[in-house]
Amino acid sequence: MAASGHIELRSVTKRFDQTLAVDDISLTIPHGSYCCLLGPSGCGKTTILRMIAGHETPTAGDIRIGGESVVGLPPVRRGTAMMFQNYALFPHLTVLDNVAFNLKVRGVGKAERHRRAREVLAQVQLDQFADRMPAQLSGGQQQRVALSRALITEPRVLLLDEPLSALDEFLRLQMRGELRRIQRELGITFVHVTHTQLEAIAVADAVVVMEEGRIEQAASAHEIYTLPATAYVARFMGGQNVLAGTVIAVNGGAVTLVDGTGARFATPVTSTAPAKGQEIFCCIRRDRIKVEKLRAPLSSVGEATNVLAGTVHAIEYQGSYVKVTIDVPGREQFVGNLPDHAFLTAPLDIGDAVVARWATEDVHLLTGDSTRTATGVRPLPLEAQRDGVRSR
Amino acid sequence: MGTGGAILRLAGHPLQAMRPQPLGTSRVTRTPYLLVAPLTVVLIVFFGIPLVLVVVVSFFDLDKFDIIPTFVLTNYAEVFGSSLTYALYAKTITYALIVWAITLVIGFTVSYFLVFHVRSVLVQMALFLLCTVPFWTSNVIRMISWIPFLGRHGLFNQSLIAVGITDHPLEFLLFSNFSVVIAYVHLFSLFMIVPIFNSMARIDRAVIEAAVDGGASRARVITEIVIPLSKTGIALGSIFVIALVMGDFFVVKIMSGGQSSSVVAAMSNEIAILQYPPAAANAVCLLIIVMLMVAAIMRLVDVRRELSG
Repeated sequence: MAASGHIELRSVTKRFDQTLAVDDISLTIPHGSYCCLLGPSGCGKTTILRMIAGHETPTAGDIRIGGESVVGLPPVRRGTAMMFQNYALFPHLTVLDNVAFNLKVRGVGKAERHRRAREVLAQVQLDQFADRMPAQLSGGQQQRVALSRALITEPRVLLLDEPLSALDEFLRLQMRGELRRIQRELGITFVHVTHTQLEAIAVADAVVVMEEGRIEQAASAHEIYTLPATAYVARFMGGQNVLAGTVIAVNGGAVTLVDGTGARFATPVTSTAPAKGQEIFCCIRRDRIKVEKLRAPLSSVGEATNVLAGTVHAIEYQGSYVKVTIDVPGREQFVGNLPDHAFLTAPLDIGDAVVARWATEDVHLLTGDSTRTATGVRPLPLEAQRDGVRSR
Repeated sequence: MGTGGAILRLAGHPLQAMRPQPLGTSRVTRTPYLLVAPLTVVLIVFFGIPLVLVVVVSFFDLDKFDIIPTFVLTNYAEVFGSSLTYALYAKTITYALIVWAITLVIGFTVSYFLVFHVRSVLVQMALFLLCTVPFWTSNVIRMISWIPFLGRHGLFNQSLIAVGITDHPLEFLLFSNFSVVIAYVHLFSLFMIVPIFNSMARIDRAVIEAAVDGGASRARVITEIVIPLSKTGIALGSIFVIALVMGDFFVVKIMSGGQSSSVVAAMSNEIAILQYPPAAANAVCLLIIVMLMVAAIMRLVDVRRELSG
């Protein structure tokens, strides 16, 4: 296999006329890792991918692959291959010629390139479709042709632009497992752009959450989901309720905060505890919340810590759990994911007055946001993962 | 393919379009026939019937002043027996091929520029309209205005002499093969540009990027991707240009100053002296030859894909 697919972005910025698409991003993706760039549309993730591929040139900064700067090099000299969002198969060529195309333009003879293309097609069980035209294939088959075409040149980095977005749900789940398996097998670097949270954490070693051209957090999939760095990441990943408030007491391993409505929360703190009077954000996982019908009057609830009272807004059955959305006066909606058996033993209905409770140790302090508030400067996340993504 | 394909089939085999419709929906199936009815009537009355008449007349006999309704092959014998026919066809086909080659290069390069180098759609449309400028005035005026430009003492010759490139006026500029070809190219380039632009504009940019990503150079992208995907546009443009040149007599008459001729110009002379049956036989031959040329192009390229895509 070819040289190292270790990717390094150094202070990369990209402007399109007046628009800042990528804002001074630094990111390291180790060789052989599966990295997902995750964010809403327009966050700059695809631009980063296209800059690594060589289809866009950074306005400033450096991009290195395997230790060498590749800025200004054509894609073919970077050792990268890209899989395009809608596959971009050549509509006038057969499946076989599509896959063999990259070898053809690199001067490989007809017999040899067809032999290798057939080999690659056989690996994805498409050899019997070699003589079809792309339009005669299903979406899933087209996707495998696109993958074969990208992999035939044995790249050190495979760049995937929303590779699963054009597939139906069933195929999407099947293919994301397949992509992960292929990446393991080849041992090359995969950079995968997606806007789907569950897709990112399902396939990737490392997830980079982006917003407005900046990195919000770069960490392992598990950390992104359970230990988000900022309120944005916590909200975007969807598994958390975000709490905000002013610190009123610091005692040992925990701080107590109070929000605008007078509700009090406690959060464990690690090394640097926030100071009294500071505005902080923390989050509580949806699946760590207990929801029960309100029995005592509301006023007594108001005094307790880690308790919110409200009315049930929506109930969604999700199979293994039930998602209960609660309207809480004066703040954003609160969501509790209750295990199905817990919900069935004490069922709730829409409009019920309920209280939500949780334990202090399940609360997570969002350090990214508090640092930002304290210094007034937006910091870059500092997490360094063993086999994940490092970002400076 | 989609609906376009269905419409094409409808034109060929009307019953096919009806077959998938369940019974009791005749009101729905009648609509497409109503839509094509006006064109059908116009084509039958003004194209189909005259064409049949031409074919019939081509077998009529002729004495000094009268056309005799009978069935003879003398008209065709005359057409095929005359060396003039072959000379005229050679001349006209030569014009057609030269003009086709030049307009093809112009059509391809202009379309490529418009599609891949002009980023703003507004500028693209403005430049596209610019290509239609030759059609903003009548054909006669367009032809006549070449004369003061290319003539012996015309603007172009005077400029050349003034700059010192030549000391005597160039004679070949006007009333020559050169001027005929120039006029054709001027007139017919647009017929090549429009279809090529149309098919080129439909090429997915991601497909080109995928080729570059795979290692194709700019030249390779053109030969491997752009030309194959513009093929239908090239074929349509070629049909337009070849059919137009083959059927022309006005441009050749004016621009060659009567020194050159074409198949249709010869027919027009025959009609002028009321020699209808030989003219008709000539017309039938030309029709068959142009149809063979179009058929050859259609064989090379599936034009239907362009119309229905």
